[in-house]
Amino acid sequence: MAKDMHGSTVEFEHVTRSFGTVKALNSFSLTLNPGELVTLLGPSGCGKTTALRILAGIDRDYSGKVEIDGKSMKNVNASQRNIGMVFQAYSLFPNMTASENVQYGLRVRGVDSAKREKRADELLEMVGLSTQANRRPNQLSGGQQQRVALARALAIEPRVLLLDEPLSALDAQVRTTLRDEIRRLQTRLGITTLFVTHDQEEAMAISDRVGVMNHGNLEQIDIPGNLYNKPKSTFVAGFVGLTNRIPALVESKGEVMVLNQILEISEHSESVKKGEEVRALVRPENISVEKSSSSLASTVITKSFLGPMTRVGIDVGMDELIYAEMSSKEAKKLDTGDSVKLHIAAEAVMVESV
Amino acid sequence: MRKYSPLTIISFIFAIVFFLSPLIAASEYSFRGLNGVGHSLINYTWIIHQSGFYNNLAVSLRLAFVTVLLVMVLLVPTVVYLHLGGRKWRRVVEFFCLIPIVIPVVSLAIGAQVAMPKWLQSTSYELCFFYVIVAMPYVYRALDIGLQSIPLQTLVEASQSLGASWFTTLRRVILPAIASAMTGALFITIALTLGEYTLASLLHFRTFPTWVTNVSQENILGAVALSVATLVGAWLILLILAFIPKFKRNRKGVLAHG
Ligand SMILES: Nc1ncnc2c1ncn2[C@@H]1O[C@H](COP(=O)(O)OP(=O)(O)OP(=O)(O)O)[C@@H](O)[C@H]1O
Ligand SMILES: [Mg+2]
Repeated sequence: MAKDMHGSTVEFEHVTRSFGTVKALNSFSLTLNPGELVTLLGPSGCGKTTALRILAGIDRDYSGKVEIDGKSMKNVNASQRNIGMVFQAYSLFPNMTASENVQYGLRVRGVDSAKREKRADELLEMVGLSTQANRRPNQLSGGQQQRVALARALAIEPRVLLLDEPLSALDAQVRTTLRDEIRRLQTRLGITTLFVTHDQEEAMAISDRVGVMNHGNLEQIDIPGNLYNKPKSTFVAGFVGLTNRIPALVESKGEVMVLNQILEISEHSESVKKGEEVRALVRPENISVEKSSSSLASTVITKSFLGPMTRVGIDVGMDELIYAEMSSKEAKKLDTGDSVKLHIAAEAVMVESV
Repeated sequence: MRKYSPLTIISFIFAIVFFLSPLIAASEYSFRGLNGVGHSLINYTWIIHQSGFYNNLAVSLRLAFVTVLLVMVLLVPTVVYLHLGGRKWRRVVEFFCLIPIVIPVVSLAIGAQVAMPKWLQSTSYELCFFYVIVAMPYVYRALDIGLQSIPLQTLVEASQSLGASWFTTLRRVILPAIASAMTGALFITIALTLGEYTLASLLHFRTFPTWVTNVSQENILGAVALSVATLVGAWLILLILAFIPKFKRNRKGVLAHG
């Protein structure tokens, strides 16, 4: 399996898929470059699985265009597409051993058994399961089952690899190891991959680009850093990373008053009118906290240690706490119950209508 | 060690006595010798030596075979379909599969008889179609439960994305995954067919059960021996069917390690 697979180009063009009145995909467009790992990130029900199923050919009841390497997939069956897929739910064939599962795709292609077994051995070794080759799925842990599913998907040397929340049923530690392993394999094999998750940390950690989906649409697709630092909509800003939504008042066309500070309204904000009550989106790391003795001050309510960083929840007399993040060293100076003063360390903030 | 309450033990003993004593009595009776004197196997050999034993047994076995074939070919794809795309038809099919339970066999025999084509009415294979109807509720249930216990949709999609055709998916993935449910359905069908008396008798066909009823009227001891033998036979078949899957698994395991 040392031989490199050639990554394919994948293109969705204005793909729409309706279930009754629900539009699972709504004019969805996306291009994957050869060898790229793109992650679709979005809340439950936003159409991630639907997009994968349409590309895999399992669901062919859509309008719009789906192309692989420039060829329309309109009349190509799932079984002819040569796309590897790892499913959200456990999907190993229960009556077959791990090795037989991996061999399945080769078997239906008529590869002889000696070759098949050799390939299965190589692939199982690649996912670290050589010694479990003769186990049945019910004798494997969840993480092991998903590794076998990955090996099974790779066995057919797919043009494209689709991973539908393959890690969602696993515990935190296995998730992290396995996701790094997936990325390592994917880079090594150079295979175009579409990964789906609703865990933003996972998305950021393994992707070349991340596409944030909302209501069957791609809101924004970008490299992870840009998504976090330059969100193009309030939805993306709210979905990627933790964000405070602080009540604010529009002062003039381009300015807003938040926590007694006047700040610019940044681009990609929702359009708002002067005098409108809105919410400003502020990242916790952009809020600095100072001890204060003023009677108008706010109070520290919670303090959570996150390793190098500490998150502090502050009551400023609104319904919800405002969260600030600082280095844990800095946070040592603060205690719950302390009176504090907040300062937003940013020139511009995004705002959304209430 | 688990402790059982006295009540459990008493009801257990009662059950054993209740079920086993008639069986033991019947067995003892069936081993009586000529004219009820002494013990021998004569009652068991008697039935085999009646003329028509092998012929009629063969007829019933053939009918059982054809019935199993028909009911499986009819119901396996149907139930699989109901679990995939055809969910909306489920209620309807379930209803039709339940009807045979509430319709008396007599009206089934007379009503359905007229619907059968002439050429079929003249052969005993006509019975297979009736047996299919009678077995349908049980087979449907067994298959339905078997399919509910596996993530069918995902397995099918996985198989197809790996390049398998529908037929291959059915043969290599779905059928093996519901093998135990199918074995159960198979057993029920065979048992129903081999033991069915009313339909065969109403429609004037000679099958093993009707033949047995005829000949055993002349020999009570023989009839008892026959029912004991039937019971033991049924138990044996059950045991064998229960052990086949395990046996197959073990054999494969050994091969894989060797
Ligand atoms: N077979 C179906 N019948 C009816 N509606 C469906 C069907 N499949 C999906 N939908 C609807 O389409 C929308 C998108 O579903 P999809 O499974 O793509 O979501 P998702 O983003 O994968 O969500 P999750 O993160 O929960 O897996 C949802 O509103 C869902 O209810
Ligand atoms: Mg999903």
